[in-house]
Amino acid sequence: MNSRTLLWRDLLVLFGLTGWALALPGYGSEFALSMALTCLMYVALSTSWGFFCGTTRYLSLATSAFFGLGAYTTAMNLDSLPWASAIALGSGIAAAVAVVMGLGVLHLRGTYFAVLTFGMAELIRHAISYYEKSVHGTVGRVLTTVPDMSTIYHTVLLLAVLSVALSIGLRRTRFGLALLGIGGDEQRAQTLGVNTRWVKVAGFAFTAAVAGGVGAAMAVRWTYIDPHTAFNPFIGFQTVLIALIGGAMTVWGPLIAAIVFSILAETLRLQAPQIYMMTLGLLLILSVLYLPGGLASLRWQTFKDWRSGARQWWKDLRYDLSGDKARDKKRAKERRLVGG
Amino acid sequence: MSADKKFLLRAHEVTVRFGGLTAVDAVSMDIAPGELVGIMGPNGAGKTTLFNAISGVTPMTSGQLSIEGRSLAGAAPHRFAAMGLARTFQTPRVFADLPVSENIRFGLAFAGRRPRKYVFWGEEQGVPWALRDVASILSVIGLSHLADLPAAAITPSQQRVLEIGMALSTRPRLLLLDEVAAGLTEIEVEEMARLIQRLRDELDLSVIWIEHAVKILLQHVERVIVLHQGQKIADGKPSEVVRNPEVIDAYLGDEMVDASEGLT
Repeated sequence: MNSRTLLWRDLLVLFGLTGWALALPGYGSEFALSMALTCLMYVALSTSWGFFCGTTRYLSLATSAFFGLGAYTTAMNLDSLPWASAIALGSGIAAAVAVVMGLGVLHLRGTYFAVLTFGMAELIRHAISYYEKSVHGTVGRVLTTVPDMSTIYHTVLLLAVLSVALSIGLRRTRFGLALLGIGGDEQRAQTLGVNTRWVKVAGFAFTAAVAGGVGAAMAVRWTYIDPHTAFNPFIGFQTVLIALIGGAMTVWGPLIAAIVFSILAETLRLQAPQIYMMTLGLLLILSVLYLPGGLASLRWQTFKDWRSGARQWWKDLRYDLSGDKARDKKRAKERRLVGG
Repeated sequence: MSADKKFLLRAHEVTVRFGGLTAVDAVSMDIAPGELVGIMGPNGAGKTTLFNAISGVTPMTSGQLSIEGRSLAGAAPHRFAAMGLARTFQTPRVFADLPVSENIRFGLAFAGRRPRKYVFWGEEQGVPWALRDVASILSVIGLSHLADLPAAAITPSQQRVLEIGMALSTRPRLLLLDEVAAGLTEIEVEEMARLIQRLRDELDLSVIWIEHAVKILLQHVERVIVLHQGQKIADGKPSEVVRNPEVIDAYLGDEMVDASEGLT
């Protein structure tokens, strides 16, 4: 398949999935709808994360900060601003913070970058807490004018579709090529004419804008928010995990993983609350060990390889345990003695 | 100003210090358009650091640097690339995950980009015919048959050639080659030298070429600069430089004088 047919395939798949998600409120239960909302939230977060952090290999842990900034923007402005403007404002503020943060820390790589983004996220969380306490004298806010469920659902759906569509489209532009080059060898990309600083800042800001928008939309789901829930680092970690499990370099990996992961997490939480986190952790370890390329690298061949690998292992084990191995060794030794 | 126009690259007292170590010590050089200049010197003489400084990869501690009279001191490497300065790295640094053709397309999409004559069709302006697209660059360096392979899958010597192709894809006027012949067989080295000369002649490039294979370097370049402990100790025609006592002392030894018969 050449790149044009791939583009059409991706867009058609996206179109189909969007249609499905649009139809869901028509026949799904209340529970299915809220599950779908969680799925969509993680689709938007991890797809946009993968678009920048997956291709450039800059591991950002600041997603929760952008999410929280979006949420707080809504909480403060929902009474005075219309819904769409509140979302846009949340996403804009998150992007602006990302630009400033990016200019400061994007020259660092690897662990330093990851730790520093996490530190920044914590800093923002505590700054907001302090501001709320000292200026408004509150620890949290109650959201009174909350839009109905279908508005929230459609907003998050729009953000998810936008983020996937942009991730499909931008990958094929010079911008996407530049991100890929930065992931491959940043200095080489620079000597070939890429202004890496601005490319990185722009990519980081894109991630932040989506996370901010999602945060702004999801804030109203809680009706009461405080810095602890809005800036929950768990959201940031979960985004990274989902993208990695799905295959952060790919378009569809994070999307598939977001859906699988959200449904799995929810089911486990309801069915087996005691071992919920343990099971998730175990699955994560298994997927890192046996599927390093992520869910997106799964092919029919992968299953076949696993199957033949397991059979071989069983065969070797039987051979070992039956005593045949020792007998064969003995015979080989005798043969060598006779031959020598 | 007229002196600046005459030279493509002017480096004046370029100095690079790492802490207490002076890696490059007040090296000046002027490169004229179309010149093929060799740089040699023992290990640790500062050859690669000098390259890093004049391609913007390592910031200079002090000194001036200009391409066609435009000062580039303190600029980021992508500015150098946009001004027509391209370089290769000592160890091939190709984009291993991308196919060979994408590696070439990368430079064309960034530093090599020129405005088109018409918006939707027409040719890009001011582009040498041999560098017009990915296929033509691949045929110049002779890797057309490998275009679809991932760059990690080709041999190291082919990766060196691909490095040159990537540098060419920025459509440069000055090409900096950092030990492109290291680790190649004798035949491959000879081929590489011929490729470099051909590029210079056909594409009207200036080339600065660092190499440890002294003989091959002296045979092919018109001018050679010798670095020793960060300082420039000689600059001239190969036949003169091999007779320079300081160079013999520092680097070449006596036998090169005998081997240098017939140099320009």
